[in-house]
Amino acid sequence: MNEISNNEAKCRIALESLQHVIDPEIGLNVVDLGLIYQINFDEDHSKIDVVMTLTTQFCPMGESITEAVKNALEHAFEGMETHVELSFIPGWDHTLISEAGLKFLKR
Amino acid sequence: MFAVNNADLVKNTTYKAVVPFYVYASISFLVAAWLLFLSSGIFNQHYFQPKILAITHTMALGWGTMMILGASHQLVPVLIEGKLFSIPLAYLTFALVALGIPLLVYGFYSFDMGWPAQWGAILINAGILTYVINLALSINQSKKENIHAVFVFTASLWLLLTTIIGLLLVYNFSTSLLPNDSLHYLSLHAHLGIIGWFLLLVTGVGSRLIPMFLISKYNNTKLLWTIFALINAGLLLFICIFLYFPNPVFYFIPLVSVFIALILFGYYCYSSFKQRLRKHVDEQMKISLLSIMMMLIPVMVLISTIVWIIIYSANSQLIMLYGFTIFFGWITAIILGMTFKTLPFIIWNKVYHHQAGLGKTPNPKDLFNNRLFNLTGILFLLGFVLFIIGIFSTAEFILKIAALLLLLAAILYNWNVLKLVLHKPVKP
Repeated sequence: MNEISNNEAKCRIALESLQHVIDPEIGLNVVDLGLIYQINFDEDHSKIDVVMTLTTQFCPMGESITEAVKNALEHAFEGMETHVELSFIPGWDHTLISEAGLKFLKR
Repeated sequence: MFAVNNADLVKNTTYKAVVPFYVYASISFLVAAWLLFLSSGIFNQHYFQPKILAITHTMALGWGTMMILGASHQLVPVLIEGKLFSIPLAYLTFALVALGIPLLVYGFYSFDMGWPAQWGAILINAGILTYVINLALSINQSKKENIHAVFVFTASLWLLLTTIIGLLLVYNFSTSLLPNDSLHYLSLHAHLGIIGWFLLLVTGVGSRLIPMFLISKYNNTKLLWTIFALINAGLLLFICIFLYFPNPVFYFIPLVSVFIALILFGYYCYSSFKQRLRKHVDEQMKISLLSIMMMLIPVMVLISTIVWIIIYSANSQLIMLYGFTIFFGWITAIILGMTFKTLPFIIWNKVYHHQAGLGKTPNPKDLFNNRLFNLTGILFLLGFVLFIIGIFSTAEFILKIAALLLLLAAILYNWNVLKLVLHKPVKP
């Protein structure tokens, strides 16, 4: 993840739940793939703001992946609404893949 | 650092506009394989005859073109970096071409160049024109310019020119529309389709999808422009030579141009493969990469054909071998691979879209039978090689066995496509 969230403890839980959101083509989770840029918790409004990217802006699985991120976080933090924002500045490239992700791809 | 740029998520083309193309193409492959099995003996005779024309057009239009039209409607957002302009136009393209193909094929099969073939050709042209308009408007509204869009759009224009010439050739059977008979223009019509449509599109789409599926670090836009220029220059030279300097020796010039383009495309794919991050390459990608190598077979046959024409005269066996290695070889191999690389995602998106992230859902690759896929690939390769031996040996029983293997491959392929299309959700 590029930036640390405003709530480290909750962010850790969020990242754990997002480890179960898998890019169906690559088979790697969105966290290790480097798609999650930022997670912010807005306690006052019971909101989670996620800034993420996709491997390409025109990814055919884009809708499903963003929906899965939203579903996973709303499942992990019941009563909180998740808002997913897409960013392509910078666009995704292989340098964003984590060490664990690279290891997975080299299997 | 990153910028929150509120980028829009480009919506997928609805599966309803895409899946009918896949289903139609699958059935066409089965029909073509069945016709091949029934008529395998005629591959000992001259290539210009009704049943071969019917099989060729079922393969070229029903199988190759319909599959590519379907996939391109789905992949337009990835290729042109913008969304498809109109879904109703996609439906219209399907309806027109899907109605036109059986009429045209029936016309060829029964060699009735009257209304069935004429209306078939008219409907196909109307459908392709609709597709070109939809693609042009999609590219026009896209904010970005990219080389893959140029490849796809140029290929679609060559396709339109191919079908227009096809329409003229159909009418030329009954009315003297052109200075020569239709057989004379056959190689012009065929090469506009094979090089302008199929080759240009496969290189344009392949150069986008192959690195994407392999997660490759390789990118070389300059090389892709060179490939684009070589293919189009080769085709334009071919047209000029055909129309104004029809000496067989001159055909080596466009052939060399296209051959270099193929070698460069092979190099592009190899570099993408070498620089991939994803070490495991699945069977669907393997067969797609194999099809890139299979492009060289028709080129070798074409070189032999031209040499033969220069030394002796036209060799019907070589010409049939050329057509067979293109439609039942290269194009079939790439479609066999790419169907199960694209269709499972379309179906997965349709069935599991709302369940995503809420528990375990099957992977797209679990929606079809991989063992059946491997068996299809083996039967296809055996049938393909055996049919080539059959054409050379002129042994009818070899042609029959080979056609049977290809028919079995088509049946298994259809079975797997049906399994995918009819997939019902598995509860989490």
